[in-house]
Amino acid sequence: MDKVKIGIPRGIYYYYYGNFWKYFFKKCNMELVYSPSTTKEIVEMGSHLAPDEMCLSMKIYLGHIAYLQDKCDYILIPRIDRFDKENQTCTNFLALYDISKHYFKTPILNYNIDSQHDFLDGILNMKELKLSRVQCILAYEYAMKKEKEMKSRRENLQQQILNSSGKKVLIVSHAYNIHDDFIGSSIVKILKENHIQILYSDYFDEKKTNLLSKELSQDLYWKYSRDSIGSIPLCKEVDGIIFLSTFPCGLDSLVHELVIRKMEKPYLNLVIDDMSASTGLETRLESFVDLIEQN
Amino acid sequence: MNKISYPQLGSYGVPIYYLLTHVLRNEIIKPKEITKKTMELGSKYSPDFVCTPFKYTLGTMIESLDMGADILIQMGGGCRYGYYHELQEQILKDLGYHFQLINLINGGNHISIRKLFKEYPIELKKRGFLKYLYTTKKMVIYMDKIDHYIRSHRCYEKEKGAFNKLREEMLLKMSEAKGPIHLYHIYKTYLKRMKNVPLRETTKRIRVGLIGELYTLMEPKANEEIEELLNSYGFEVKRYTDVTYLLFQKKRKVKQYLKNFFIKYRMGADALDNIHHTKELCEDEYDGIIHIKSSFCTPEIAAMPIIESTAQQYGVPVLFFSMDMNTSETGFLTRIEAFCDMLEMRKQ
Amino acid sequence: MKECYLGIDIGSISTKAVIINKSYQILSSCYIETKGNPIVAVKEALQLVSIPPEYQLRGIGTTGSARKLIGLLLNANVVKNEITAHAVGTLTYHPDVKTILEIGGQDSKVICIRNRMIHDYAMNTLCAAGTGSFLSSQAKRLGVDVKDFGNIALKSTNPTNIAARCTVFAESDLVHKAQIGYPKEDIIAGLCKSVVLNYLNNVCKGKRLESPIIFQGGVSKNVGVHKYFEEILKEKVLVDDNGHLMGALGVAILSSKVPNPRNYTLDFQNIEFKTIGEECKGCSNRCELVRIYRDRELLDTWGSKCGKY
Repeated sequence: MDKVKIGIPRGIYYYYYGNFWKYFFKKCNMELVYSPSTTKEIVEMGSHLAPDEMCLSMKIYLGHIAYLQDKCDYILIPRIDRFDKENQTCTNFLALYDISKHYFKTPILNYNIDSQHDFLDGILNMKELKLSRVQCILAYEYAMKKEKEMKSRRENLQQQILNSSGKKVLIVSHAYNIHDDFIGSSIVKILKENHIQILYSDYFDEKKTNLLSKELSQDLYWKYSRDSIGSIPLCKEVDGIIFLSTFPCGLDSLVHELVIRKMEKPYLNLVIDDMSASTGLETRLESFVDLIEQN
Repeated sequence: MNKISYPQLGSYGVPIYYLLTHVLRNEIIKPKEITKKTMELGSKYSPDFVCTPFKYTLGTMIESLDMGADILIQMGGGCRYGYYHELQEQILKDLGYHFQLINLINGGNHISIRKLFKEYPIELKKRGFLKYLYTTKKMVIYMDKIDHYIRSHRCYEKEKGAFNKLREEMLLKMSEAKGPIHLYHIYKTYLKRMKNVPLRETTKRIRVGLIGELYTLMEPKANEEIEELLNSYGFEVKRYTDVTYLLFQKKRKVKQYLKNFFIKYRMGADALDNIHHTKELCEDEYDGIIHIKSSFCTPEIAAMPIIESTAQQYGVPVLFFSMDMNTSETGFLTRIEAFCDMLEMRKQ
Repeated sequence: MKECYLGIDIGSISTKAVIINKSYQILSSCYIETKGNPIVAVKEALQLVSIPPEYQLRGIGTTGSARKLIGLLLNANVVKNEITAHAVGTLTYHPDVKTILEIGGQDSKVICIRNRMIHDYAMNTLCAAGTGSFLSSQAKRLGVDVKDFGNIALKSTNPTNIAARCTVFAESDLVHKAQIGYPKEDIIAGLCKSVVLNYLNNVCKGKRLESPIIFQGGVSKNVGVHKYFEEILKEKVLVDDNGHLMGALGVAILSSKVPNPRNYTLDFQNIEFKTIGEECKGCSNRCELVRIYRDRELLDTWGSKCGKY
C-alpha cells in the first residue's frame, strides 16, 4: 500500500511547527508533501480566492493550499484557538479551517487546539490517520526531542550574534512573515548585503519571550504577538529594530503601534502589501542602515 | 470625586447612564453624540489600519476627557476590540491627559466586581444595586424589542416620523423609570401606541436582512443610518445583532449553531452567527441581505466568502459594505439605491 | 408631434446627454468633460444636443453622481442611480447580455443579469485605483495622451507587472519601473492589464461572469483594456459604440415610461443656477450645507444630518 500523503502548506503554522511535524509524521511512516517557497503564482492564486481586505499572509496561505489541493490525501491545516486565556490567536486563524473547507475539496485533518484541547490533543485527534495512541505519543516524544535540539541550536546562534561586535538589527515579526520568501527574504537580503547581523524575534525561547512581553504590554492576549515582542527586552544590545507586518494585519496594527510608542532605539515599521515588496523597500532599508551606522 | 464617562453606542447610552447614575456616587458624564468632529479627532490619533470602532471610541473619549471625565470605561472583546484599551490609553496619555481606563472585558475575560471597586476610585451607593441592575437589563431588552418592531413597521407609517417621535418619547420616559414595574408599564404603553400608528396598506412586502459587525450595525452614525434609509424606501428590515442578543442569547445560540455542523468551529466575534443568520434569512425567504462592517474587521472578512456563497445557493443577493470614516455618502447612497431598485425589479 | 426624451448622465469625469424617440433610437447625443462643474457641463451639453423640429420633449431623466442636483435644476421626472440606468440601457439594446462590465471615471462595477433583470451587482470598494481617472493621471505622468493608451498597449508583447491595487502603490511602482528602464509600451500595456486584473479580483470576486459579456464605460474605449479582458476571461467581450452613452440612454428610456408626462423645453441657457456651499454652525456636526438656487429662488438645501433643512 502506498504511504498516506499529507500536504503541508508552507505558510502560517509551518513556520512554527513545521519542524515538529516533519519528525512526527516521518516517525509515523507517512509521506509529507510541501508546497514550494512562496512564488508570485502562489500569491496570485491566494489573492484571487481571498476577500480583498484579508491580510497578505492569509492570502499567501490560501495560495499554498490551492497549490497542494490535488497533490495529497489530506491537508494539515491546524485550527488553533488558544493555548490558554492569555495566549489566543488571530481571529483569522480560528476561521482557517472553515474557510479552507469552503474553498477546497481535499480532506483536512482534524487538528484542533482550544481551551479544552492542548497541543498533544491536537495530534491525538487526527483520527483519519488511524494511528494508535501509543504510536502517536512515541512519535510526539521523538519529534519534541528533535524540536528542542533544533531550538537550542538556534538560540545559541542568536546569543552568539548578540555577543558579537558589529551592527545588529532585531526583526520583530510573526515567523510566517519574516521567513516567507515573498515577504521577508528581500529584507534579509538587503540587510545582509549591508553587513548587518540579524536577530529573529521567533528564534528565541518562546517561554522566555512570552513572559517578557509583559514589560511592554500588560494585557496583550495573542500568543504569537507576545512571543515576538517579548524578544525586545532580551535584545538590549541591538542597534535597531525592524517591525515587519503585512497589510492589513489586525493584530500588528495595534501591537506594533503600542510598542513603537515605547521605543527608545531607532526603529523602522515596514508594512508589506501585495506586489509592492520590491518598490521603495530598498530605499527605506538603506536609509535605516545609514541611521544605525551613524550611531 | 472622580467623573466617569463611557463610549457612545446608539441609544444604549440611555440604559448605561441610568445604571451608572443609580448605582454609583460618582458624577457621570454623558458622552457627546458622534459628530464629524468626533470622527476627525478619532482618525487623527489612530493608527492607519485599525478598524473604525477604535477611531469612534477614541474620538468620544477625547471629547469626554475635555468635558472633565477622569475615569473612562471601555468594554469589548471577542476580537481585537478586547485589546483596544491598552493602545487607546497609551495614545491618550501621550496626548497629555490624566485619567484611568477601566476595561470591563479583557480578551474575553470579565473583570471581577471586587477588583473593580478595590482598584478604581468608584463608590457604590449602598442601596438598590441589584434592583437597578435588573431594571437596566430589562430596559435593554424592552428597547431592543421595540426597535425590532419599529424596523419592520416604520416603512409603512402614514405620517413620516411617527415612530421616531414615539421612540424618543419612550426613551425619555424610560430614563426616568422608578423601577422594574414602572418600566414595564412604560414599555407596554408605548408598544400599544406603536401598534396603533396608522400604517399604509401594502401588497408586496420587501424584506431585507441586516448582518455584520456589531459596532457598525448598532451605531447609526457609523452606518449612515442605513435602517432608516431602507425603511424610507419602504423596505422592512431585520437585524439580529443587538445588545440583548450579544449579552443574553449569543452563548446559547452559538452552541446550537455548532451542532449543525454547517460550520465546524467557533469563528472570531460574530462571524459564525452571521453565517448562520444568512442561512436563516435565506430560508425565511428574505429578498436581500446587506452585510455591513467597518473596514479591516478581520472576523467578518473571514466570514464574507462563506456568507456570499451561502446566499448564492439560495439565490438571495448580498450587498457588502465596508464602512470607513471617509466613506463617501454619495457612493453609499448610489449602492443602496441600486440594491433597492434591484430588489424591487426582482420582486415583480 | 412625435415624442422624444432626454437622458443626461453626469459623471465625475464626463457628462453625456442623449435624446431618443419612442422607439429608443438616438436622435442626438453628446459627450463632454465635466471638469468639476456639473452645472456648466450640463448647460454646455444641452447646447450641443438638439431636438428635431417635428419632436416635442416629453421627459427628462438624470443619472450619475450629480443626478440629484441636475435632476432638481432641470425638474427631471426620473432621477436614477447609474447602476439601474446602465442595466436598463444595455438590456434595451442588447437583450441577451448576461454580464455588464463597466469601468468609469471613479467607479467601476459589474452587473449580472439573469432573465433580463439585474440579478446581482457589485461596485469597487477601496479606492479609485484601476478606474478611468487613475488611467488618465498615469497617462499624464508618462506624457502620453490617454486616448492613445490602448493603441500603444497593443504594440507591447511583454506587459510589465504593475501593482494596481492601490493608487499610491501603483504610482510608485510605475515610476520605479520607468526608472529601471522598461519600454513605455510595456509599462502602458502592464497598466492596462493590471486594471483588468484588479477589476476582476476586486469588483468581480465571487460573481459568476456568464457570457454574453459587454464592456462599457469610458475605459471601454481603450482597446488595450478590452484586449486583456478577452485574453484573461477567455471569452468574447462585446463593446458597443454607444457604450459610453448607456447610462444616459437608460435613464431616457426610464423617463419615457413615466405615466402622465408633461412638455419640456431645452431652454435652460438663460436661467441662472447657483449652488452655495457653507458650513452649518448649528452643532458640532458642522454639516456642509449646499443651497441650490434657480434665478435667486432657493430650491433646496442639502447635506444637513439633523434634518433641520
